[in-house]
Amino acid sequence: MTEYKMFEGCVIGNRIPFIEASSRKVLDKIGVQTSQAPFSCCPDPTGMKCFDNTAWLAMGAQNLCLAESEDKPIISLCNGCANTLRGVQYQLKHDSNKKEAINKELAKIGKEYKGSIDVRHFVDVLKENLSAIKSAVTKPMSNLKVACHPGCHYMRPVEWMESDDPLRPVNLKEIAAATGANVVDYDELALCCGNAVAGPFPDHGDAILKKKLDSVKKAGADVIVVNCPACFQRFDTSQRDLSKKFDGEYNIPVLYITELIALAMGISSEDIGIKNHRVRRGTAIENL
Amino acid sequence: MTLPLGIDFEFRKQIMDVHIGSDKIKYCYQCNRCTDNCPVASVANPFYHEVTNWFDPRLIVLGTLLGYKDIVMALAGSKSALIPWGCTVCDTCDAVCPQAIEVTEIIGLAKNITSGAGLAPDNIVAQAKTVFDTAKAIPSQPAIERRREQMGLPAVAAPNVNEVQTLLKNIGADKKL
Repeated sequence: MTEYKMFEGCVIGNRIPFIEASSRKVLDKIGVQTSQAPFSCCPDPTGMKCFDNTAWLAMGAQNLCLAESEDKPIISLCNGCANTLRGVQYQLKHDSNKKEAINKELAKIGKEYKGSIDVRHFVDVLKENLSAIKSAVTKPMSNLKVACHPGCHYMRPVEWMESDDPLRPVNLKEIAAATGANVVDYDELALCCGNAVAGPFPDHGDAILKKKLDSVKKAGADVIVVNCPACFQRFDTSQRDLSKKFDGEYNIPVLYITELIALAMGISSEDIGIKNHRVRRGTAIENL
Repeated sequence: MTLPLGIDFEFRKQIMDVHIGSDKIKYCYQCNRCTDNCPVASVANPFYHEVTNWFDPRLIVLGTLLGYKDIVMALAGSKSALIPWGCTVCDTCDAVCPQAIEVTEIIGLAKNITSGAGLAPDNIVAQAKTVFDTAKAIPSQPAIERRREQMGLPAVAAPNVNEVQTLLKNIGADKKL
C-alpha cells in the first residue's frame, strides 16, 4: 500500500482546515494512507511564480526534496500546490540548465533535487478509487443538483498536470456522480473563478465571477462542487458583495468534493465543519 | 542593443528562453485564439460595459516576439499595471494555442521583470514577504491550530524558515521585496 506525504497547503492547513477534515476522513474510508512532512509554502503559481520564477522553482524543489528523502509520493489537496509541484518537476525535468542552477542553490542548504517521486492531485487519487467510493456510499446525494468546477490548475497546463481534458474536464463530474448527486452541465464549465485577477483588479474579477455564477444558475444547479481551496473561498465569500454590486441574487452554496463524498458516506455535517461555510442558510446544504 | 525602432534583442532572447528546449513563440501567426478565449480579455474590452480597461494576450505575444520591449514595458511600466498583471494565470490561452506557445509563461516573465522594478501589485509583494518571513503564504495562527485540534486533525508540521530564507536570499528574491 502506497503511503503519501500529505501536502495540505497554506490555505487549507492554516485557514479553512474543515476542508482537510473531510478529505482525511474520505481518504481513510477508501484506504489511502498519509503522513506529515515539514513542507513550506508550495509556493503559489499565481503569486510567487509571477513575482520571481527562480524563487518559485527553488522553493518547490525544496519541498520535493523533503518527500524524496523518504522516497514517498506527495498527495496535494489543492489545485495551486499540485500545479506548482508538478510544474516545478516539469520545468526541471525538461531544462537541464534550470535544474543545474536550482541544485547549486539547494546544495547550499544540504539538499539535492533528483526528480524521483510523483506528485498526485487528490482528485486523481479519488478517481483511481472510484469503486471504493461507490461502495462506501450509504446516503446517496440524489436530492442535489450539482455543477462541477474543477478549476484551472487541476487540468492546465495540460503538459504539467496530465490529468483531464483541459477544456472539457470530466473527472470531477464522474466522482460527484458516484455520490448519487445529479450532475448538471453548464456552459462555463472551464471558466476561471477569477481569483488571481480579483486581487489587483476587483472589477475584472467580479465580472468573471458573475459570468460563472450566471451560467451555474441558468443550468439550475443548487450546489457548486469544487476541488480547489482558492476557488472555494472565491465562491463562498464573494457572493454577498456580488449581489449588491450587480443588484442580483447570488446565494449558491459550495461543497468541496470531499465534503460531498463524506456526507454521502454518512459522515455527519458536524464532524466535517459544514457550519463554517458562509453561504449556507436557506440553501440546499443547510440541512444536509 | 536597442535599435531606433525600439527592438531590444536581449529582451527577445529572454522571451525565447522562456520556452523549454525551443523558441516556439516565433511560430505565432496572430490567430487571436488566446485573446478570444481569455476570461480577462472577455471582460476587459471596449465592448464590455462593466470594465473598460483593456487586456489582450495576443498583443503581448506580438510585442514580445518582435522585441518591442519599450512598448510592452511602457504598458507595464506603472505600479500594478493591467498589462501584465491582469493575467489571472488560468492557462486557457496555453490550452487553445494551435502552436503550443506557453503564453502564460511569457506574461509571467513580463511580471517577473516588473516585480524586479518594484512595480508588482501590493498583494503579490505582500504574499512574497509573508513567504519570506514565515515560509508559508498563510502563517499558522493559534485560533486555527485550536480548531484543527478540535476537529481531530494533526498539527501542521512547522517548515524550516531558515532554509527558505537562505534559498531566497542567495537567489536575490529578498531584494525585490
